[in-house]
Amino acid sequence: MMSGEAWLYLLAVLINAVNLFLQVFFTIMYSDLEWYVSFNFYGLKKDLENPTFVPVRRRFLDYINPIDLCNRLNTYIIPEAAVHGVLTFLFLINGYWIALLLNLPLLAFNVKKIVDNAHLLDATEIFRKLNVHKKESFIKLGFHLVMFFFYLYSMIVALIRDESH
Amino acid sequence: MAAPQDQYGQGYPAPDPYAQQSPSQPGFGTSSPPPPGGQPEEVGGKKKKRGYAAQAYDFGAGANSALGGQQQGGGQFQQPGGPPAPAYAGGYAAPQENAYGGAQYGAPAAVPAVGAPGVPYGAEQPQYGGGVGYQPPAAGYPGPGAPAQTYGMDPAAGGVAGITQGMGQMGVGGQPPAQAQQAAGRPAVLNQLYPTDLLNQPFNVAELDLPPPPIILPPNSSVTPSPDANCPPKYVRSTLNAVPTTHSLLKKSKLPFALVIQPYTSLHDVDDPVPIVQDQVISRCRRCRSYINPYVTFLDHGHRWRCNMCNLTNDVPQAFDWDAAAQKSVDRWQRPELNHAVVEFVAPQEYMVRPPQPLVYLFLFDVSYASVSCGLLATSARTILDSLNRIPNADRRTRVGFMAVDSSLHYFAVPKDTDENGETNMLVVSDLDEPFLPIPQELLVPLSESRLSVEKFLTSLPAMFQANQNGGSCMGSALRAGHKLISPLGGKIVVITATLPNVGYGKLEMREDKKLLGTSKESGLLQTGNSFYKSFAVECSKNQVSIDMFLFSSQYQDVASLSNLPRYTGGQTYFYPGWNAGRSEDAIKFATEFSDYLSAEIGLEAVLRVRATTGLRMSTFYGNFFNRSSDLCAFPAFPRDQSYVVEVAIDESLTKNFVCMQTAVLHTTSNGERRIRVMTLSLPTTTNLADVYASADQCAITTFFSHKAVERALSGGLEPAREALQSKLIELLQTFKKELAGGNMGSGGLQFPANLRGLPVLFLGLIKNVGLRKSAQIPSDLRSAALCQLSTLPMPLMMQYIYPRLYSLHDMPDNAGIPDPETSQIVLPPPHNLSSERLVPYGLYLIDDGQTQFLWVGRDAVPQLLADVFDVADRTKLKVGKSSLPELDNDFNERVRAVIAKSRDYRSRGVGSIIVPHLYIIREDGDPSLKLWAQTLLVEDRADQGMSFQQFMGTLREKVVQ
Ligand SMILES: [Zn+2]
Repeated sequence: MMSGEAWLYLLAVLINAVNLFLQVFFTIMYSDLEWYVSFNFYGLKKDLENPTFVPVRRRFLDYINPIDLCNRLNTYIIPEAAVHGVLTFLFLINGYWIALLLNLPLLAFNVKKIVDNAHLLDATEIFRKLNVHKKESFIKLGFHLVMFFFYLYSMIVALIRDESH
Repeated sequence: MAAPQDQYGQGYPAPDPYAQQSPSQPGFGTSSPPPPGGQPEEVGGKKKKRGYAAQAYDFGAGANSALGGQQQGGGQFQQPGGPPAPAYAGGYAAPQENAYGGAQYGAPAAVPAVGAPGVPYGAEQPQYGGGVGYQPPAAGYPGPGAPAQTYGMDPAAGGVAGITQGMGQMGVGGQPPAQAQQAAGRPAVLNQLYPTDLLNQPFNVAELDLPPPPIILPPNSSVTPSPDANCPPKYVRSTLNAVPTTHSLLKKSKLPFALVIQPYTSLHDVDDPVPIVQDQVISRCRRCRSYINPYVTFLDHGHRWRCNMCNLTNDVPQAFDWDAAAQKSVDRWQRPELNHAVVEFVAPQEYMVRPPQPLVYLFLFDVSYASVSCGLLATSARTILDSLNRIPNADRRTRVGFMAVDSSLHYFAVPKDTDENGETNMLVVSDLDEPFLPIPQELLVPLSESRLSVEKFLTSLPAMFQANQNGGSCMGSALRAGHKLISPLGGKIVVITATLPNVGYGKLEMREDKKLLGTSKESGLLQTGNSFYKSFAVECSKNQVSIDMFLFSSQYQDVASLSNLPRYTGGQTYFYPGWNAGRSEDAIKFATEFSDYLSAEIGLEAVLRVRATTGLRMSTFYGNFFNRSSDLCAFPAFPRDQSYVVEVAIDESLTKNFVCMQTAVLHTTSNGERRIRVMTLSLPTTTNLADVYASADQCAITTFFSHKAVERALSGGLEPAREALQSKLIELLQTFKKELAGGNMGSGGLQFPANLRGLPVLFLGLIKNVGLRKSAQIPSDLRSAALCQLSTLPMPLMMQYIYPRLYSLHDMPDNAGIPDPETSQIVLPPPHNLSSERLVPYGLYLIDDGQTQFLWVGRDAVPQLLADVFDVADRTKLKVGKSSLPELDNDFNERVRAVIAKSRDYRSRGVGSIIVPHLYIIREDGDPSLKLWAQTLLVEDRADQGMSFQQFMGTLREKVVQ
């Protein structure tokens, strides 16, 4: 039988995987927005001032515009923070201090942004802040990746301990 | 290098050559015919002088005095009442032939050895020898096929001669230009660096009027010898007129690289016509989509052209040399797009998603108690009525609609004139959540078809709400309803309101707290109070709806939130604090401005994009628009009274010896024609830091930092914005000292190039502007409105807003205030520096920041002066405050009025603006609050919590010299 600890870490692994995927999604969207830009340099984007264009991957390109992009990404921002908050809370009530400690910085960061009402992407400023957003996304991605292995390791350790008992 | 205007600064140390300049030279950017004969033998002799320059400069004592033994940079300015463009200005402005004396401003050691011997460039580049010796096109322009050879013939002889001749004249010769170019592979000698001492040579305000350092392009860079081949500074100005070739050099210079773009310089096309390409033949690069321009090169017997941005070879369209209308071939070299850097193309079908939309104006009148009681409703209705003929309606498609707003919405269905028993119906909607749209087609009527009904309606509108006691305003809901109404067509929503929106959508609160002013919490008040105003603005931009706000409240109105609507939709915020129609000055001001506003020929469905030579990238855009993608600015309506700033990044090192930046504005004109306005600016590149500094444009730099400061103030707060400005200035002074002045400061002075001497005072003016000033007295609405100005004003007005004009009237020279015999323009007296030391107690002064004019009457003004100007017997009878001057039948009164009128004449300054400044009469011993207000414009004084110019310079010196 698996102990509560192993279950908790398994849950953590799963939740973390979700967050990991979300960050990958964010990063891709940001780079797409940027890629779309560099792509445009070669005149491949359709807009009024560029009436003729080479229709490479047009469908994909048309779909990215700053307003839709922001609306789309904004729907994921609160859930992502909430899921992470729940996980941290579980570590707290179960007394896994190391895991809690590792998660606290990100929790504090998310809470501060939401309290300052600065968590949502603003379509009017997205291009000016693209680099900041990308950096943030990358750091979160790295963090989740590290945590993923940490949870996995902790789970295995817990399972081995269960076995040996 | 041998471009027409490479004369920058040359005449400045040495008035001698200045005196020799041909007076016939009309202005910057033109060239004169080459003088006959050359004097190459003089060249050698000039080398000595060049050595002088270097040497003198090394001693730090003043290259200028050594060079010519004449005036110091600022010295000449000190004579009060002298001509406003003295020595320094002369060299600047005078587009002499060539004569860049190779001297390299003696920047020590760092100067690479340009001018090593080489092949005369004529041999290498046979196109058209001199470049300088531009002949009129008739001289040798046979047409397509072989432009290169014929081009050259004549100028080659005249041109080279012209060069040497020019040098001889100038008396500051240098290496023959051909050699110099050969060695460096780019114009070796750009503008010369003239370091001056900021502390010992006081800044003079007249220096701000000088044209920017000329752009010295390599010869033959444009395909036609047209003097208009490069973009005039009134449309596009670069902060650097010599572009560093690498990102690291730009970084090292600490200077910003940005363009200040003002696509329109007047409210009406007739005041500022631009060549139009009518035949819809638009040749563009296949890869980078640049438009064909004077800097492309033709290959293959003129059948193909090479793009000057990305080097791709493109086919020349068949129709390029063919006039379809007249059925005959045309001379390619006469085509406007090859002769003019600023042209407008008539766009074919592909540039439209739908037929060009008509001009649509939807007026949202505030009819609440506040608006009715101050006479706003009556004045605005009356002004629209009187201006119906001025609204652009050449294609008779212009539509108008009207809504009235208090705590409910009032729609007006205006019938057609042909409808016999048509009556204007009012429909009142009180459900603000989902305001339904009754019969939309009658709410937005073509002006031509319903002219009489519209007139009748506007006449009766004020009476309808005369007794309205309703104090509510559901402006947010009204905007949503209005947006719904016009979004199928797009157009302008004109909001005229005197009330804080306090009901329905986008409800705002009175959030200003006097205790917060002057603290770090103040910046919160400058930010948006309700996110509706951002998201709704973005929504409007998407549907081609632009919003202009005319705000009139005498109480807090949250300009900070409301100004978001114009900010992202290409509109503008006009703020009239404490306005009341009962004061005729107020009524006249608004009526005049609003009427001009309605008459402006705005563009519709516009996008702006800037393309540039490979290696350059437009990184950030500033101004009122929405960035639809990172390089595309969208304007539902394109205004004519705003300018934009684009920051440029150098991504790859530049290998060409000049770069181009092309701004394109695609728009629908107000008479329904799709057009593209294209502006091509060409700038030389350099590997030399001294060149970068010598060609930096202080006004453009200040405009750039004004936009930056506004951004900073809105995101980080006012204090950080001010600090950023000051530390930037210190950084620039330090960089100059370390890299170019060799750390040698002589007697503890503060060295800076002549062309950047105004930077400290401009930055101080910016720090002390009402938008950024440290003070606990400025209501946040006033601040927000000022920040809107600081991020939209066209450059000439921006400079005046930052560093206002001070004219001394009581002792103005005899020719001031009367028309100049040659130009028939009124002559302004010479401007003075903004310091109270300049004000004598018996004087009469005009202080003008472009938004407000102050007529300052000294405490000891003589009765005769008062009688002549104001028609009062003694000072105590003088009415202070908002006023106007009586028209009296005496010479002095007429001249004073002429100066005041001229000072607000924007058209002559190449700016479109609707603003009519208020005139305030200030008595030095009169109302202290008025006096204090006027004194805040005296930027060089110590005031409130701001430093005086002396203190400021002292601080800078401490930080830089330490
Ligand atoms: Zn190209």
